[in-house]
Amino acid sequence: MIVAIDQNICTGCRECAQVCPVSAIEGEQGKPQTINTARCVMCGQCVQKCKSYVSILEHGSDAYERVKKERNLPESVTEPLFAAHAVCNLDKVMAALKDPKKFTVVQCAPAVRVALAEDFGEEPGTLVPGKMAAALHKLGFDRVYDTNFAADVTIMEEGTELIERVTKGGVLPMFTSCCPAWVKFLENTYPELTDHLSSAKSPQQIGGAIFKSYGAKLENKGGEDIFSVSVMPCTCKAFECERPEMKDSGFQDVDAAITTRDLAWLIKEKKINWDELEEMEFDRPCGVYSGAGTIFGVTGGVMEAAIRTGYELITGEKIPELDVTAVRGTDGVRRADIRIGELTLRVGIVTGLKNIVPVLEAVKAGTINLDFIEVMTCPEGCISGGGQPKLLMDTEVEAAYKQRRDSLYEHDRELPCRKSHENPAIKKLYDEFLDEPGSSVAHHLLHTTYCN
Amino acid sequence: MKKELGSFVIGDSTRCTGCKACEVACFAVHQKNQTNQKNQTAGSRSGRTVGTITAPVAPRLFLTRFEQGCMPVQCKHCEDAPCLNVCTKNALIRIDHQIVVDPEKCIGCKDCMQACHFGAVALLPEASDSKTPVLKTVAVKCDLCQGRAEGPACVQVCPHQALRLVNPEAEQEDKRVKAANALFLTRGKGGQDS
Repeated sequence: MIVAIDQNICTGCRECAQVCPVSAIEGEQGKPQTINTARCVMCGQCVQKCKSYVSILEHGSDAYERVKKERNLPESVTEPLFAAHAVCNLDKVMAALKDPKKFTVVQCAPAVRVALAEDFGEEPGTLVPGKMAAALHKLGFDRVYDTNFAADVTIMEEGTELIERVTKGGVLPMFTSCCPAWVKFLENTYPELTDHLSSAKSPQQIGGAIFKSYGAKLENKGGEDIFSVSVMPCTCKAFECERPEMKDSGFQDVDAAITTRDLAWLIKEKKINWDELEEMEFDRPCGVYSGAGTIFGVTGGVMEAAIRTGYELITGEKIPELDVTAVRGTDGVRRADIRIGELTLRVGIVTGLKNIVPVLEAVKAGTINLDFIEVMTCPEGCISGGGQPKLLMDTEVEAAYKQRRDSLYEHDRELPCRKSHENPAIKKLYDEFLDEPGSSVAHHLLHTTYCN
Repeated sequence: MKKELGSFVIGDSTRCTGCKACEVACFAVHQKNQTNQKNQTAGSRSGRTVGTITAPVAPRLFLTRFEQGCMPVQCKHCEDAPCLNVCTKNALIRIDHQIVVDPEKCIGCKDCMQACHFGAVALLPEASDSKTPVLKTVAVKCDLCQGRAEGPACVQVCPHQALRLVNPEAEQEDKRVKAANALFLTRGKGGQDS
């Protein structure tokens, strides 16, 4: 079980049911709730919402330690524990870090670097890529690679696929496939529409497949020697990496997915002093990323990154304005017409999974006039993911999301390279290993199929 | 109008779902005051997230279940306060109509806890002064989030407006104006008096 509600602690307030996008939380008001696992997409919004904590007075003096043990949490955890919670895979990660036979590789999603510091008392949205990389080096990971790099690969693959579908008459609108909760929802609820999903894997899985193939080759190792960890703002990524088809490197591509909160626990468990960390670099080549890869963490970011690259690949000219503000924002459903040379690309951005249903109904009815739709399950994209540091007061959530979002855009602005196709590490990856986007190697490693 | 009576926060069981957002916010606000006073050193700052908390959740209002439902219960800031009256150490004082505990004077005798008619005083480990981080068990109770610009945190975070800060005199005045209006309307419609 990836996300669960502890029956002994749940008060039955059903506040979580209000934020659950798929009505998976069932139970009577005032009675402990259960999650309908057939419906649940493991987005973890209930985990973020729940305030029903383990209390000495109510649950007994040994309850805290018991629950901590049941959930497999590190010894050093002292923070409040709540009824709704997510699986913790830190034991696997700690075992691999200790195992001298394992070559450990780690990747962090874009949204982690604008939230991790919050669990060390820093202001919401503090941007800390250098400190995050330093902490991962200190934890003993052999390579500190990055999901932002993998996001740049995603743009190459997904962008090429989109251009093909638009110019050669493929299934449209094409949906993004980065968000595993969205993919699971589509498979569960609208299986007849899964051919609208991009066949490109999510950045986590693209990273995983590359690290155990190209990455292993760079180290003169086999994929079996590598233990690949991902740090995600997302609770559903632990589900995605366990999907049976996600082993195109010949091995499970990502061995363990942990959340931003898990990483903060791990740093504390290993007694690394956050405030004294000196910033460090990510490892080359798979830790080199563009601003486009960075903005995957906010709603509209995948779309913007795709437009930056798509524009230049289609027209052969420099995009006049890098900031594609037409696709930014936080409204649940947004749309824009993007002029790309002779072509007008009609794009939609949906954030908050509840908002996708009318769009899907329109797709089914054939009344939608869009070419490309980005879909994210969480309220404002990955920065608001179920695995992110949890605010104690809901009244501070909106401001925190804004600060995280602003920080990601700031990071994008300040990076030397802001387009995926101009990332030198991406050029090198295609030159040395993948050949070209959509090549047979790329297709084998980086694309997938869906259940329907 | 001159304020003669103390304000207090009151819960409404017809709106409360029992989510405990009020308890967590109460704890967060008071924990922050305490940690930031006590310890500014690396990595121990108390922030806005759950991950920065290192102590058990100890709120100053109490989500209470009863047969008909649930609601948070907290201090009424009584005018003739039994807690204050029984304290032999002068550890409870009235500041600006509110009853607050002076943790330096409190010896944890529990007299106030016994005296309170509403179960609104708890005994919890607290930092006794700003210099030493040593905890001692003292009386703690609602202080209406003294000094917090946004007012009591519990009221602010409740998703169902099941908590309200009562200013008794202002509410009385309000009710009287409403009553007067109602009477005026009755008479205006050609009531019995004319």
